[in-house]
Amino acid sequence: MIARIRVYALIIPLATLFAGPAPAAEDVTLLKDLTSVILLLGLPCGQVVRAKRQADNDHVATCKSGHRYRVFVNAEGRVVAQKQ
Amino acid sequence: MRALGIFLFALAAGCAGVKETPPAVKSPAEPLVVVPPPAAVAQPPAAPLQPASKDEAVKTEPVVSAAPPESKSQSVKPAPPPVKAPAKAPVPAVATEPPRKSESPPAVAKAQEPPLDVATLTARLRDTKAIGTFTKLALKNQVDDLLKQFRAHYASGRKASIDSLRQPYNMLILKVLSLLQDSDPALARTISASREAIWSILADPEKFNSLT
Repeated sequence: MIARIRVYALIIPLATLFAGPAPAAEDVTLLKDLTSVILLLGLPCGQVVRAKRQADNDHVATCKSGHRYRVFVNAEGRVVAQKQ
Repeated sequence: MRALGIFLFALAAGCAGVKETPPAVKSPAEPLVVVPPPAAVAQPPAAPLQPASKDEAVKTEPVVSAAPPESKSQSVKPAPPPVKAPAKAPVPAVATEPPRKSESPPAVAKAQEPPLDVATLTARLRDTKAIGTFTKLALKNQVDDLLKQFRAHYASGRKASIDSLRQPYNMLILKVLSLLQDSDPALARTISASREAIWSILADPEKFNSLT
């Protein structure tokens, strides 16, 4: 019983440690991209801290300042950031 | 249990150490204070570009012939200021330091790369990995918008107010530089050095028409 507890005590923290970073690394690129787009469009944001994918080339970005934008590519091929 | 505790502590310590590396990466971006030089170097790129645009097919020759004059003129120009500046105005200690930093990198970068034209600039921006897909597309939109403004301006026949487009052009260049300065400082430096050369193309109706 004690051995099992020890094993779980080892596995759970390790799983927590190594499960997180992989998706986070991909996110960083997207968050940086969305931050750049929003700033390029002249909208207040600061830094995008969270992004939720809605479809291809369509994300809802949450800024550090609290602003939320839907960033997507419209039918004309333009990148648009809609405040939400 | 002690071993487990020590192991986890070591892991946590390792993870904590990783986060400190990124700030060190930011420091290389500082040399991009190079942005000011373009204004001073504005004149050199404009002249050599003319031969380059005349013979697009023979790009290699003009480039080779254009590069040496630049490097010479630039190496000649930057050299006097540092000697004169400290001698004439030794008062601002902070002002004397930046020129020293900005002198060596631009001299090397400009010697390596000739000023860009619009097509090359577009290609370089497309190829760089410093900016993401969304940003590239947004940037392309803004470049297209600016080119539309130039097209409309030339279509309307007004010649006097071409300078009114200088501000949006400068703004766009600054945006591009701000996007690139951290991740691709070399390209940022090249663009910064090519600012006047690109403007000379856009501001000349004939060159602009041949471009589009």
